[in-house]
Amino acid sequence: MSPVSSVVASFGGRESLMAHKWGLAVDLDRCTGCGACVTACHAENNIPTVGPEQAGRGRAMHWLRVERYWEGDFPDVQLKFRPVMCQQCDAAPCEPVCPTYASHHTDEGLNAQVYNRCIGTRYCANACPYNVRFFDFFNPQWPKPLHLQLNPDVSVRGIGVMEKCTFCVQRIQAAQIDAKAGKRELADGEVKPACVQGCSARALVFGDLNDPESEVARLARLPRGERLLEDLGTLPNVTYLSRQTGG
Amino acid sequence: MSALYALYADGDSAQRAINALQAGGVSRDAITVLSGEPIEDQEFFETDKSTWMWYFASAGGAVGLIFATWLTRMTELAWPIKTGNMPIVSWWPNLIIMFEMTMLFGILAAVLTLLVTARLPGPRPVLYDPEIMDGKILVGVINPANAAAVERALSQPGAEIRRSGN
Amino acid sequence: MSEASARKLSDDLLRPLLQTSWRFYVLVAFLGAIVLMGLGTWAYQMYNGFGITGINHPIFWAFYITNFVFWIGISHAGTLISAILRLVNAGWRRPVTRCAEVITAFALMIGALFPIIHLGRPWLFFWLMPYPSSRQIWPNFRSPLVWDFFAITTYLTGSVLFLVLPMIPDFALVRDRTTGLRHRIYGVLALGWQGTPKQWHRLESAMQIMAIAIIPVAVSVHTIVSFDFSMAPVPMWHSTMFGPYFVAGAIFSGIAGLIIAMAALRKFLHLEAYLHPVHFQNLGKLLLLMSLLWAYFVFAERLTIWYGNEPSEIAVMYVTQKGSFAPLYWTMVVCNFVIPFTILSLRKLRTIPGCVIASFGVLIGMWLERFLIVVPSLGHKYLPYSWGVYRPRPVEIIITISTFAAMTLLYVLFSKFVPIISIWEMKAGDHPSPALSAAASHEHALGETHA
Repeated sequence: MSPVSSVVASFGGRESLMAHKWGLAVDLDRCTGCGACVTACHAENNIPTVGPEQAGRGRAMHWLRVERYWEGDFPDVQLKFRPVMCQQCDAAPCEPVCPTYASHHTDEGLNAQVYNRCIGTRYCANACPYNVRFFDFFNPQWPKPLHLQLNPDVSVRGIGVMEKCTFCVQRIQAAQIDAKAGKRELADGEVKPACVQGCSARALVFGDLNDPESEVARLARLPRGERLLEDLGTLPNVTYLSRQTGG
Repeated sequence: MSALYALYADGDSAQRAINALQAGGVSRDAITVLSGEPIEDQEFFETDKSTWMWYFASAGGAVGLIFATWLTRMTELAWPIKTGNMPIVSWWPNLIIMFEMTMLFGILAAVLTLLVTARLPGPRPVLYDPEIMDGKILVGVINPANAAAVERALSQPGAEIRRSGN
Repeated sequence: MSEASARKLSDDLLRPLLQTSWRFYVLVAFLGAIVLMGLGTWAYQMYNGFGITGINHPIFWAFYITNFVFWIGISHAGTLISAILRLVNAGWRRPVTRCAEVITAFALMIGALFPIIHLGRPWLFFWLMPYPSSRQIWPNFRSPLVWDFFAITTYLTGSVLFLVLPMIPDFALVRDRTTGLRHRIYGVLALGWQGTPKQWHRLESAMQIMAIAIIPVAVSVHTIVSFDFSMAPVPMWHSTMFGPYFVAGAIFSGIAGLIIAMAALRKFLHLEAYLHPVHFQNLGKLLLLMSLLWAYFVFAERLTIWYGNEPSEIAVMYVTQKGSFAPLYWTMVVCNFVIPFTILSLRKLRTIPGCVIASFGVLIGMWLERFLIVVPSLGHKYLPYSWGVYRPRPVEIIITISTFAAMTLLYVLFSKFVPIISIWEMKAGDHPSPALSAAASHEHALGETHA
C-alpha cells in the first residue's frame, strides 16, 4: 500500500472483521484485450447495447471496459490493455454524494447501487474518478426474440437510473445460498463473476480478500500489485498486476 | 360608533395632541394613532418601543437547532447505512443542516411574533382616514366620553378636526 | 413629507398598477409564449427520456446545472441591497430595495426548478425531503444535494417573507385608492393593516431581524451550491476556494441583474424621479468592486494550479485557456472584467446606459463562467481514456432561454400588481431619525426624493 493509502486506511478503512471482503485482481501480463469479459458482462447483467448513434454520442454502457493504450513511436510501439470496472472502493466518493442512499456500502465491501432508490441526479457518476458509472438515457429495448437472452437473476433497469459493475452480486448471493444450504463454507474460486468466467487467459481472479489464503489476497500482496488512482484515497479493491516484460 | 379625530401634518403636533389627551384623562388604549409611514423620530407611546421579538426569534432559532440535531442524528442512526467511509453520524454535514434550520426557525419565529403582536390579519380598522397615506398623522378617540375635552386636546396648531360615524 | 409630495409619490408609484397600456399585454403574451414553449419542452423531455439532451458519459452535468448555479447566483442581489444596506442605514437603498428583493424571490424559484429538471426521474424529487416514509428511509444528509434542498428552502422562505411583509402597508394604500373587486382583493392582502405606531414598530423590528438573519443564509446558500462541486474529487472542482468564489460571483451577477431590472423599470414605468443616475452610479461602483474581486479569485485559483503543476488540474486549466474552450473562456474574461472595468472605472462612462451595458456583459460572462466550471472539468477527469466532449441540444437551449423569459414575465406581472418601489419606505426616508441624518452630499441627500 502506498503511504497515502495506509494513512487513509488507518482512519477506519479496511474492515478486517467482516465475513467476506470481495476483491478482484487483474493480471495485465495475461490480458490480451480480447474483450470476452466485456461481452460476458453484457450478457450476464442485461446491459443494453445502445446502438452506433448513441455510442457516438458517448452513451455506451460498458460496465467493464478494456482501455487500450498505444505507447511509444513506430517502430517501437507497444499496445497495452487495462480492463477497468467499478473498483468497489472502501472510501468510495460516489457514496456520500447520493441524496437517496442509492449508492452505499455493503457489509461485504461492495459498493451497492439500488436502482429503485435512484432518482438520477448523476452526482455519483461525476464523483467517480474511474468513470465507471453509467446512466440509462433511454428505456432499453430488446426487440423480440432478443428478450429471451435476459438473465432472470438480474433486474432490467429503466430510464433515469444509474448502474455499474456489481462484482456480479447475484452470483455471490447464489453461491452463498448454496453454501448455506449445504452447510459448508464458500470455497475460494467458487464465486466467479461473468468477466472472470469469460476470460480465456485467466487474467481476472476474484475472491475474498479477508481470507489470507485466497488466490486474490495472495495476488494483492505481490510487489507488482498496484491500484488505480491510489493517491486519491478511494481505497479501491481491484489490484492490477503490472506487466513484468519490458514495462 | 362615533369618533373624534384630527389629522396632523407632522409628528410634533401629533405628539402634543397625544400628550394633551393623556393629560386630560384619556387612557392610552383609547387613543388611536395612525400613519401612512413609520414616524421614526417620535415615540408616541413609551411602551411601544419594547418588543420581545428578538427573544422569540432567538428561541425559534434554538428550536430549529435542536430539531435539526435530532433529525439528522435520529435518521442516520435509525437505519445505519455506510457511505464512503464516513461515520454513520457525520457531524460536518449535520452542522450545515443545523445551521439552516436554526436560521429558518428564527425567521419564522420573528414573522409569527410580528403577526401575533401586530394583530395581523385583523379586521378592517374601526377608525380610519385614507388621508394618512398622504403624510398625515391621525390621532383620535373612538366614542369619546367627553367630546369637548377631547376636541380641546386635539386642537393643536395645524390640526384638521373631523368626526366620523354617527 | 409634505402632503403634496406624498400624494405625488403615491400617484407616481401607483400608476403602473392603475393604468395599463396595450404594450403590457403584448409583452406578457410574447413572454408567456416563450415560457409555455419552455414548459412544453420540459414535458417533452420527461416523456421522451433524458437522452434527448446533450448529456453523455462522462459529462453528466451541463446546461441545467449551469442554469441552476446561475439563477441561484442572481438571487443574491436582493439580499445585498436590502439587507446589508438596511443594516448600515444607507438611505439610497429605499427606492431600490423592493426591485432587488423581487429578483431574489423569482430567481430562486426559477433556480430551484433546475435540480428537478435535471433529474433522471424527476417525479421522485420529493425523496430529498425528510419525511417519515413507509420504506423507513430518510435522505442522506451527507449529500450536498440534500444540503442544497435545505439551504434553498430556507433562503426562499426567508426571502419571500422579507419581500412580502413590507408589502402589507403598500397593499393598504392600494386598497384605499381602488374600488370594486381590486379594492376587496387588496383589502384582503393588506391583512387589516392600520398603521398604528405599534404595528410600524413591530414591522420594522421584524425586518431588522430578518435582515440580520438573511445575510448568513444567503452566504450559506451559494456556498452550499459550490459544495456540489467541491465535494467531488474532480480536477479543478475539489478546491477549498469554491465557497467564497461562488458567493462573490453570485453577488457580482446579482448586482448586474439588479442594474438591468432597475434601468428597465425606470424607462418603462417612468420612474425617472425616483431612480436617479446616482443610484446607478453607486451600484456601478459595487459592480466594479465585485468585478475586481472576481478577477482576484480567478487569478488566485489559476496561479495556484499553474504553480502546482498537478497533471490532471493542468489538463483542465489548459483546455479552458488554450484548448477547445478557449473562445468561451476569453469571452468570459472580456465580459466579466475588461468591459466592466473600463466602463465603470471611468466616471464619464458610468452612466445609466454604461452601467446597463456592463451589466449585460457580466450576465453573459457569469453564465459562461458557470458553464466553464461544470463542463471542462467533467470532460477531463483523471483517466484520459474517458475524456469526453459535450454539445448542447435544442431542448437544453430552449429551456435556458425560456427561463430568462420566465424571469422577465414574472417581474413584469409583479410590477403590474404591486408597487415596485416601496412607497411607505420612500415616505419614511424623507425624514430620517434625527440621530442618523447625515450632512447631504452635493450628489444626493440621504434618503431624499426629488418630487
